[in-house]
Amino acid sequence: MAKVKGYPEALENKLRDRRFYGEDTNPEFTKTVKKISDTIAHMCYQCGTCTASCPSAPRSSYRIRKFMRRAVLGFENEALTDPDLWLCTTCYSCTDRCPRDIAPTDVIMAMRNLAFKRDIIPVNFLKTVQAIYTTGHGVPNNDVNRTARKKLGMAADPPTTHSYPEFIPGIQKILDYFKLKANADRIVKEREG
Amino acid sequence: MESSHQYAFYLGCIAPNRYPGSESASIRTAKKLGIELLPLKGASCCPAPGAFGSIDLNVWYAMAARNLVLAEQMGKDIALICNGCYKSIWEVNHKLKKNAELRKMVNEVLKEIDMEYKGTIDVFHLAELLYDPEICGLQKIKDSVTTPLKGAKIAVHYGCHLMKPRKERHFGTTEHPYWVEEMVAALGAEPVEYRNKMQCCGAGGGVRGYDIVHSLDITNEKLINIMEVKADAVTDLCPFCQLQFDRGQIEIEEKFGVKYNLPVLHYCELLGLAQGMTPQELALDLHGISCEPFLEKVL
Ligand code: SF4
Ligand code: SF4
Repeated sequence: MAKVKGYPEALENKLRDRRFYGEDTNPEFTKTVKKISDTIAHMCYQCGTCTASCPSAPRSSYRIRKFMRRAVLGFENEALTDPDLWLCTTCYSCTDRCPRDIAPTDVIMAMRNLAFKRDIIPVNFLKTVQAIYTTGHGVPNNDVNRTARKKLGMAADPPTTHSYPEFIPGIQKILDYFKLKANADRIVKEREG
Repeated sequence: MESSHQYAFYLGCIAPNRYPGSESASIRTAKKLGIELLPLKGASCCPAPGAFGSIDLNVWYAMAARNLVLAEQMGKDIALICNGCYKSIWEVNHKLKKNAELRKMVNEVLKEIDMEYKGTIDVFHLAELLYDPEICGLQKIKDSVTTPLKGAKIAVHYGCHLMKPRKERHFGTTEHPYWVEEMVAALGAEPVEYRNKMQCCGAGGGVRGYDIVHSLDITNEKLINIMEVKADAVTDLCPFCQLQFDRGQIEIEEKFGVKYNLPVLHYCELLGLAQGMTPQELALDLHGISCEPFLEKVL
């Protein structure tokens, strides 16, 4: 991305001048999203190419262009509490087609990271974390598959953490470093009792 | 004896734990083509880019880096057979190599388990290695075929995370690629194109777990488009896409009341058949949708 010296500040002042920000917006949100996503979200000119490319758009109220607007204007609460945030399949079609070379997909990922900080997250995401914490796999082996593997002349378990469980404590240390397992357990418990 | 290219074979989750035939097929077919896939001991989930990336990108980087370090310790480049794994393993490797700040953060975490990411290896999808004339190439694939898949019309599902985002990858167009069709033709089958072939399978980003009907509706749209051109099977490069199309068809029947019975095969399973592996050796009976009508046509 080409960077013009002093440009973001200039833009920000201009937007302030025009009273772009209201009481329900947070200019910091725009900056944080940009930082996490590492994409020039503020350059979005609302052409709608992203929504037009999006497989989730025709079958739901999810509109990636709307999330881009929320990113630019700092509508933090509106973005993070919208259940549609979780309907992006991360297919990157929007990213490949955006005429401004923005990565809307990464904007969504950044918003999801920020939502998680407020405990906003669908439980299925957390269950993947729990599965990996105990087995190293998001989709662990099962008995039907073990039998099939043996029939193929392979070991019942693949040479992953399944055959080498001594690697699991290391994985747990990484997840614990980020307190991810504790948070996942807490949130799942709150939701499901 | 031909010189062999050796790689650490990163398996991921769904191939070894749901479609073990594709693991076995990859190892055996690649071997015939001069590519040796060695076990990457102790590897974990890549981790799932949709789930982990959505929760906390930093955890995603650190977890993927651990898998990368295992291969660094072996001194081998990684080969893998899943687009989702490619997203995690290739992309995190790429990011860590060019971003010193990120590398520092990740290494701080890895210090806890006496590991260090050094950036000494590369990551490849087996399909790109097979297509690459310097490693294998179409002619070599053709020469290895003993049972040409004659008369079969095969639709290609490219999936998303191998080739997109285009500008960060190296596969060229993501609007209308044709290289996997060439690889299908090399097996003696007839590749067929269909409307909106680059559309997502619908499973990614955690959507399959979050809203299964929404996710299957995307799959259903693809299936309609593939059925329209009378394909005998669809081939994929990703066990997660495969699961979505294969087991997904059963769920689609339950939820939407439509039935397609379209066989779904990973490219390495097709390659296995063409090189003379039997359906039993590929564990095709584990597929949700029977491959029989397709097999009758080609075997
Ligand atoms: S395609 Fe790009 S510029 Fe157009 S609305 Fe979407 S994000 Fe904005
Ligand atoms: S990446 Fe997400 S927002 Fe972009 S087109 Fe795909 S599903 Fe839609």
